[in-house]
Amino acid sequence: MQDQTRLETDQGNAIGGGEAIGFQPAFVTPTLAQRVGPFAHEILLALVLVVLMLVAKGQDPRDGPWFVSTGTQQNLLLNVWDLALLSLPMTYIIITGGIDLSVASTMALSGVVMGICFQLWHWPMWVAALMAVLTGGLGGLLNGVFVAKVKIHPLIVTLATYSAYRGLAEGISLELASWYKAKPVYSGFPDWFTSLGQRALLAGPDLRHPHWYALGAAGWLFIVAAIVMGVVLAKTPFGRTLYAIGHNETGARFSGLKVDRDKLIIYTLSGLAAGVACLNNAALNDTAQASMAAGLELDVITAVVLGGTSIFGGRGRIIGTVLGVALIHETREFVSWHFTDDTLRRLVLGVLLIVVVALNALLSRRSTRK
Amino acid sequence: MTTLDYRSTQQGGGVQGFLWTLAAKREYALALLIVFIVAAVSIKRPSFLAPSNLSDLLVYCTQPAIVSCGVMLVIVTGEIDISVGSMLGLLTAVMGTLVAGKTALVPGFGWPVWAAILATLALGTAIGLINGLLVTLVRVPSIIVTLAMLMILQSITFKIMHRGNITDIPASLQWFGIGDLGSIFGLQANGAPVVPLGKVCIWVMAATLVGTWGLIRFTPLGRRIYAVGSNPHAATLSGVSVARIKLFTFALTGLLVGVATVVTTLGAYDNGIGTGFELLVVTCVVVGGVSISGGVGSVLGVFLGVLLLQIMKPVLIFFGTGANWDKAIQGALILGAVLVDHFASRRQKTGGH
Amino acid sequence: MSIIRAAILGASVLAAAALAGCGNNENGANTTTGPAATGAANAGASGKQYTVYMLPKQKGIPYFETCAKGAQQAATELGDVKLTYDGPVDGHADEAAQMLRQWALKDADVIAVSVNDPAVLAPAMKAAQQRGVHVITWDADADPDTRTLFVNQATAEQIGDALVDTLAKDINSSDPKAASGEVAIITATLTAANQNEWMRYMNEELKKYPGLKLVDTQASDDNQTKAKEETESLIKAHPNLKGIWAISSAAFPGAAEGIEQQGKAGKIQVTGLSTPNDMKKYVLNGTVKSVVLWNTKDLGYLTVYTAEAVASGKYHPGDKTIKAGRLGERPIVNGQVLLGDILVFNKDNINNYDF
Repeated sequence: MQDQTRLETDQGNAIGGGEAIGFQPAFVTPTLAQRVGPFAHEILLALVLVVLMLVAKGQDPRDGPWFVSTGTQQNLLLNVWDLALLSLPMTYIIITGGIDLSVASTMALSGVVMGICFQLWHWPMWVAALMAVLTGGLGGLLNGVFVAKVKIHPLIVTLATYSAYRGLAEGISLELASWYKAKPVYSGFPDWFTSLGQRALLAGPDLRHPHWYALGAAGWLFIVAAIVMGVVLAKTPFGRTLYAIGHNETGARFSGLKVDRDKLIIYTLSGLAAGVACLNNAALNDTAQASMAAGLELDVITAVVLGGTSIFGGRGRIIGTVLGVALIHETREFVSWHFTDDTLRRLVLGVLLIVVVALNALLSRRSTRK
Repeated sequence: MTTLDYRSTQQGGGVQGFLWTLAAKREYALALLIVFIVAAVSIKRPSFLAPSNLSDLLVYCTQPAIVSCGVMLVIVTGEIDISVGSMLGLLTAVMGTLVAGKTALVPGFGWPVWAAILATLALGTAIGLINGLLVTLVRVPSIIVTLAMLMILQSITFKIMHRGNITDIPASLQWFGIGDLGSIFGLQANGAPVVPLGKVCIWVMAATLVGTWGLIRFTPLGRRIYAVGSNPHAATLSGVSVARIKLFTFALTGLLVGVATVVTTLGAYDNGIGTGFELLVVTCVVVGGVSISGGVGSVLGVFLGVLLLQIMKPVLIFFGTGANWDKAIQGALILGAVLVDHFASRRQKTGGH
Repeated sequence: MSIIRAAILGASVLAAAALAGCGNNENGANTTTGPAATGAANAGASGKQYTVYMLPKQKGIPYFETCAKGAQQAATELGDVKLTYDGPVDGHADEAAQMLRQWALKDADVIAVSVNDPAVLAPAMKAAQQRGVHVITWDADADPDTRTLFVNQATAEQIGDALVDTLAKDINSSDPKAASGEVAIITATLTAANQNEWMRYMNEELKKYPGLKLVDTQASDDNQTKAKEETESLIKAHPNLKGIWAISSAAFPGAAEGIEQQGKAGKIQVTGLSTPNDMKKYVLNGTVKSVVLWNTKDLGYLTVYTAEAVASGKYHPGDKTIKAGRLGERPIVNGQVLLGDILVFNKDNINNYDF
């Protein structure tokens, strides 16, 4: 896909991209269109979101609590943090032209390790949680080694580890279950741990009606991570290297950029994020097991691509991903809220994905031709 | 492939060097691996080599192998198709609904079998064309188009199948999946074919494999597919319409999913058919040595990839190891196959010339 | 050019939407409101409508669709129930938990849960209870303090026992206790909570049949093709195989098809849980002797009656019975509303059932 990718990006690289090498000559004052142009995709997403919220607001409040009320939204947000946390490093990876299909499987493996440490070996919860994050990091590092050092295509590497990590999680939990005469499902985590996933921080005195800014622990973590990772991507040499790898890996190598090291870092980061997301998932459901988060990897990739990151690399922004995550989350919850039909939900998400990306492609070609 | 003298001088000689040289070509590496696995299981359980079992193993390969031919060509042009799983599910549901009798438990349209088959093939091609048009004309990346299609087709299947499993499948339709080619036109005595020629679905698979091989080897179209994959710029400059070639590969994939639907061996259709099938196919194609960056891949390699992945489950059951580590073994196998190939070809590159 | 592209995009999206639309109409509305005008006997004098959400383990599979039919019938009869039936189509428990949390926020009076995985769903069920929503379970139970009542068609223990007893009887109809040979299980996934619970009790019950030896347990991943291929390999790998339990909705027809195609119909028995309509084909052609299940329509029916009783306050803790329309009074034992016996469908009686 890589070679042909070049062609595609060269042809339609007008919006949202090309931060890596700023072509804008300093002496020309940019027009409004030129200023806004690069953010066309983000604006599009934001518009869709706003329209969605307006439609949602138009519903009869007698049907029950409003979909857009703060309390409802705060509670619904509990469902999104796994996806949100994973989507940040995935943006980095996809910007370099890579992909990580193994994130959900890594989550499962981390969860199983945590469950075993806590429940079968009776380690303190915080040590078990640390082990989970470490396991995630290790899984990501292994992906990174195969991609960056052994130089196998990331799709193939993570396709293999997608089965391997989930398989390990299953194998280990089932094997130990028969050893210890226990179930391959781990639950009963301490209250302080589960409350991290189930309750909002800074909720104020009244738990039923928390402050409007109250969010779960994972939510705060996501906000901090998104800001940090967004700044790193946009403003630092590391970020520029990622774009350069996505644009032209050979070129990046020749210009002395530390391509391999940076790839290793981002895949490890993805694994670490999976470890953290597994903590959130385990806390929310008070369960860790090998079937955790099955199928989540496709949602994560959908969110990132919906956010305007080019699947071919070289183009994308954290703010886009944040909007992509928000749009997927709100669409999903909105469709379930009003139509209560799980099949419809998938259909809408599929159509939304195709329409937004296609609009982006059409717009981008129009602006190139001008 | 450099030959024997290469082995003895460059690779340090001996059996090891010879194996490395063989492994450098994906087809040989896979064939070796398959022979090794089959030998191992046959030593423990000789009944694994019974002709009926070997025939069944080929039957297990039919659906993935037929679809892999199409997906391989798509990947060779530098695109990807991950909608084949839910497409298989939808086509099966549609085919079943068309042939099921009007008075069956889950009533259908009662179409004649030939009409239902034609409709299935046509619908498959049409969905493939939609994929292809969205990729080539609207220029949405193929992974996005087919990912979205995966979700869309799956929900349509659920809508169609909500009334329950379709069990009213005419015997003449099931013939394509489980019948013997020898009993064509109803040539049979006492329920057995007069001249047993092997399962129909195996012949269909063989025809697809040979057809794809012929397409690649002997037709200008086949050469163009590879040209588009290995260097799209050069292909465009030499007057090849990249878009048309890609459109063709997507439509062909849709058609082949239709073919795979017709040769299903199942006797009852439910709404879970095809789940995970897309990953199986992509894995087979990748293990078979098709480069995900486009331009490289052979039909033989893909078939061996399918064979390797599809015999694993029966092999493990014959070994009686229990199912706990199935997925882990499969993942390790994929990684192993890719790694062996990778190191072997690198070794050859650095070692030779 | 770009117009053509836009047109193609628009057309394909429309086509997809239209296709989905067709399906939608066919499916009908998901929400059934009992029309008060039909003279429903129980329509509350206050005119209060109770919003009941009913969550199956997996939406779209025949077993739960038939439950939904019974539930809709009850909602129509009662008149004061606004019933919504939805669940994850891929059967993932964490997705079920998400739906549950949403309904609790929205407008639910009662949520009736078929518990796919007690561990995953417990926090969401507790959270719903804290918001003042009544939670009952049906089809599969959870920890008693996470729900008010359990509409019990069969416990995991009863299911496990029935499966083992039925297969033993199919293998040796004259003297089930003396049934002998090798047996195997094809389950959904190796980590599926419900199936693992059944298998635990099946292993217990198997001790009563010293002649039966469990040789393998395979996972079908709820994929019929995979179940069929595994069955065929099991048959060949274990020449003394006498019986298979196929304990997932996709595994049962797959296993039956495998046995039939290997020419072992009648020689190797297979049983499992399924609606009669889905397995009628295999029962009538002799591949399957017995299908174990209960009346799923009645299960859905009883669930909605129970939900309404809990919401309207007709049910008081400590009550010994519950009134359930055409099913009459059903007994309540230890917080469990009992539906009735497990049914075994065979060649003689399967044509009497249509669900």
